Amino acid sequence: MRRNAILFCVLVLLINPAIATIAQEQARSANATEPPASSLSHGSDGASANATAAAPSASGEKEKAAMESSLRIEGEKRFRTNCSRCHMAPHKFPPRVMATAVRHMRVRATLTDEDMRFILYYLTR
Amino acid sequence: MRSNPTISRLARSNLPRCGSSISRRSPKISRRFASTSIACLLTLALHGILTPILYSQEPQVPVVDDVKPVPLLTGGAGFITTFDGGQPHLGPIVTPVVLLPLGQRWLFEARGDFEADLVQVPGERGFHGMVVKGLDYAQLDFIANQYMTVSVGRFLTPFNIYNERLYPVWIRNLQTDPLILPIGIGPSNASDGAMVRGGFQANSTFDINYAFYFSSLVTTTAVDSNRFAGGRAGIFVPKTRLEFGASFQHSLQDVRSNSFGFHAIWEPFTLPLEMRAEYASSIQGSGYWAEAAYRLNQVPVFRQQMRHAQVVARMQQAFAATIPANSLFDQNMKLFEAGVNYYFIDGLKATSSYGRQFSASGNSNLWTVGLTYRFLFPLGNAWRN
Repeated sequence: MRRNAILFCVLVLLINPAIATIAQEQARSANATEPPASSLSHGSDGASANATAAAPSASGEKEKAAMESSLRIEGEKRFRTNCSRCHMAPHKFPPRVMATAVRHMRVRATLTDEDMRFILYYLTR
Repeated sequence: MRSNPTISRLARSNLPRCGSSISRRSPKISRRFASTSIACLLTLALHGILTPILYSQEPQVPVVDDVKPVPLLTGGAGFITTFDGGQPHLGPIVTPVVLLPLGQRWLFEARGDFEADLVQVPGERGFHGMVVKGLDYAQLDFIANQYMTVSVGRFLTPFNIYNERLYPVWIRNLQTDPLILPIGIGPSNASDGAMVRGGFQANSTFDINYAFYFSSLVTTTAVDSNRFAGGRAGIFVPKTRLEFGASFQHSLQDVRSNSFGFHAIWEPFTLPLEMRAEYASSIQGSGYWAEAAYRLNQVPVFRQQMRHAQVVARMQQAFAATIPANSLFDQNMKLFEAGVNYYFIDGLKATSSYGRQFSASGNSNLWTVGLTYRFLFPLGNAWRN
């Protein structure tokens, strides 16, 4: 009975973060695979289709730009909150360089996964 | 309700034997049952606490997995001149760091240390000294999930924060090491073993970071380490940029002693001010340091120049151990330092400081002046993804 109880406890504690991780990975992949609103209108040909698609396309572009802007602002905020505590903002480097540097800092400075993603987004976009 | 006659007969026939057995064992069984029940309840309670914490992460995070990282050569270099009690020391230092990302979850990182302390030798011209070479860390990191990274190899001992975060010459505000730095970090500042670490958002108010490690005894000079186990845990409040935490270490060789430390950092958003402090105590001695650094952004004159300048002050005190043979320090010491840094560009900094050391054997001045630089080169095509 005791063995079963221990097994139950261990399983609960192991499954919990696993479920959380899977749920968040799914949320992330859903975000990644979701086509932007603007791309839907690009496939239509013909004047009438273009005319009807023009309005949603413009609003979609605006929404996308606003979202990217808000993500960058959040990234900058998180950079100031975390990275600027020890060093100044670096010059702009290519995204691949920043990806390595941010992974290094994730380990070194125990950045959270979310902070790492926002900061990398800010430094590469 | 009628009872089954067979069962009733069996029950009756077994009653005396079973009854005595149950009466003897029941306290044990009930205790066991109670303990397992408490364990289950505690687990469920922990589950209940952890679940909202784990699910509290915002799902709206940017997707950055499409960027493939490239290997890097980075690090710091510096030339620090020190006048310690009137005696000049020249200190060139280069600490290259190699970062080698492998796939999406792995990272190999290593830092070398090439450093010299050149002094004047009586009767000879110029400065003389040996270049000391060392391997600060060479570790393989596996990002297991968003809460945990596993590292194996040689790593900087996570005891307090100075050794891990503030040690590089291009990051530190004052070029002299804190007096208590050797406490809790082992020989040559590093450990050989394994470490589990990570940081996660506990709720909307604060993040939690942790590191737990085990180090084995290695006596080979370049990669020496002691046998100990320990950990560090901290809480970071992003809204106020306040972090505080504690470290613990248990030595598993010679005298099996404990070391512990506390650290705190506060950098308010409203002021260009950094405040850091550490306390450490072990069988080798104890002490603290507290440092404040202020960027002169808000000075209304020479704004262009002032925004690159920073003034720093640090107070520290070290107490010798009660058993002199174990002590890191010969005697109790106090050291006050103040300095000015000037940041030309990102990574290039001029640094200078004055310090006064007070101890029973006499007081002395400590001047430093130097230049530090942070370099970074991609080891591959950084543009093509």
